[in-house]
Amino acid sequence: MGWLALTLLAFALGVWAQARKRTPLANPTLIATLAVAGALLLSGTPYSSYAEAARPLTSLLAPAVVALAVPLYRHRALLARQWRALVLGGAAGTGVALAVNALLARALHLSPDATRALQTAPATSPVALQLAPLTHAPPALAATLAVLSGLLGALLLPPVLTRLGVRHPLARGLAIGAVAHGIGTARAREEGEQTGAAASLGMGLAALLVTAVVGLLALGHR
Amino acid sequence: MSAPPLPPAVRFVLGLGVLLGFAAAGQALVGALQWPLPGAVVGLALLWAALGLGVVKLAWIEPAADGLLGVLGLLFVPATAGAVQFLGAGAAWGLWLLTLTAALLLGAGAAGLLAGRLLRPGA
Repeated sequence: MGWLALTLLAFALGVWAQARKRTPLANPTLIATLAVAGALLLSGTPYSSYAEAARPLTSLLAPAVVALAVPLYRHRALLARQWRALVLGGAAGTGVALAVNALLARALHLSPDATRALQTAPATSPVALQLAPLTHAPPALAATLAVLSGLLGALLLPPVLTRLGVRHPLARGLAIGAVAHGIGTARAREEGEQTGAAASLGMGLAALLVTAVVGLLALGHR
Repeated sequence: MSAPPLPPAVRFVLGLGVLLGFAAAGQALVGALQWPLPGAVVGLALLWAALGLGVVKLAWIEPAADGLLGVLGLLFVPATAGAVQFLGAGAAWGLWLLTLTAALLLGAGAAGLLAGRLLRPGA
């Protein structure tokens, strides 16, 4: 009970901090993660007993992933009108991110755990977690690297896209959603409604694409 | 003769039930077909199709879906806290973040430039 309480309260504190400081680093997931990790280390509690205590939260992940269909459906008119730009652009972005993660991990001789976990980083964390059994990545690392991808994306991508001359709100939103999923989408929403809608679509499409690629790779290894 | 609207709490339960049902259906489908895919993502695709076909109404699931997506960042804290198991990786974290950042910049650059080129004008 205590661990569940700590997780919820730290997340609420993070939401409060986020409303005050408009920086992606004041992120509720990051703050709650740091609070729980700090408490685990200080109390010497093994991670497995925390994971057991927090199972009620984890069991809501599957319906939350299913709920990603709602933003995809809500923006169906936009998707129908601009499907070429959104689907092909999103697939290119997520595809390039997947390829760069795979190739660079190999070139830098990263550990097998990290290489596998990086494979799903362009997908939103809950989807990365669901994919971990297929990629044989440690779930904690897959989820953490996906969160860090979102955080870094929210910090770096808006100015980089401006420098690249990507000005259209739909193109900006899509680019952010395609690689920086939930946290990036929250940041994209600050730029405007169109940017946020395109980011939601980019996140949903990336979840489907990363899943398809991982599934095909898993089939190939059978 | 329209029935009175359901109370908000009941609408939330209804929506959660539908979402859990689609997660279970996705799980059952990948199990039966032996697809190497997570059931929840297949459930996402099934729900998207059901919404498009009008089998499921958006109003049924909206409160639960928006509620869950509103605290999505909370639901994977139990997993990300597991990063404590990887503190021993030490300096390797630098290389992991370098890889991640390169993938982000190149991926988003490709998506933004291509989408910007393909956008239909006036929309």
